[in-house]
Amino acid sequence: MFKDLDPLLHSQLRLAIVSMLVASEKVEFTHIKEQTKAASGNISIQVKKLQEAGYIDVEKTFKNNYPKTMLSITDKGVKAFEDYVNDLKKYISPK
Amino acid sequence: MYKDDLTPEESFKIIDKAISNFKTNYKESAQIFLLWGWILTLACFAQFIILKIIQSEEAFEQIGLLSIGNWVVLILIGFIIQFFIVRKIDREKKVYSYLEGYLKSLWMVAVVSIFVAIVICVKLEIEPLAFILLIAGIGTTTTGLLIKFRPLVIGGIAFFIFSIATTFVSVEYLNLLAGAAIICGHLIPGYFLKFAK
Repeated sequence: MFKDLDPLLHSQLRLAIVSMLVASEKVEFTHIKEQTKAASGNISIQVKKLQEAGYIDVEKTFKNNYPKTMLSITDKGVKAFEDYVNDLKKYISPK
Repeated sequence: MYKDDLTPEESFKIIDKAISNFKTNYKESAQIFLLWGWILTLACFAQFIILKIIQSEEAFEQIGLLSIGNWVVLILIGFIIQFFIVRKIDREKKVYSYLEGYLKSLWMVAVVSIFVAIVICVKLEIEPLAFILLIAGIGTTTTGLLIKFRPLVIGGIAFFIFSIATTFVSVEYLNLLAGAAIICGHLIPGYFLKFAK
């Protein structure tokens, strides 16, 4: 029905992840898990898809000897998000 | 649980919820405001007492040494404590907002501006306090406006008022006025921020 919408962003979890990343410079993976209440495995799959599309960057470091995964949105991701929101507006108020 | 067949309205709801639930907690900034609030208030009042005691004992040659010692020691202590506070905050941090980066830049520029203003005033042989409070007012008001926290905006405006007030007060009471300015501009808003919901 909504064939013009970016299929990568037109998904509940991926859209939630990208929306959070648009609002911040960097976000830790565990924080996304807390906010979305989704399973780690599911988030990892969606993150990988977004990363492969070049929408987000994933940075793996260590914090107190524990692995820390930081996510940030790329310029391509911001553009895709803006386009997605503009396309949504067209569906809501088509002119 | 998570679906891919969304209506535009559902999509907007997800975006709205993700962004509105994602407000950065600026309460951690309160620690820095309170630290510098206390350090600078102590330094101002200590400076006032040093000048009073020395004047009464007529030991003028000690003024410079004690004054510089007072400021250098307390500011150094402030930077050491700040280092540990920032390290602790960074350890627990999960979200780095764009706004925090802007605020960090704003205060770095403000501190540099204060040092430049002091150097210029020393060279021109004029009292720097009015300019120091003015720059502190710019930093505090802008911070309050950016994080949408009214007590900080009011604290910043208090700095502006105290900045003007310095021109009506005799030199011997300037340190008391500076202490009062820091209490109103940093300490009180800092406690409001600390206990904000």
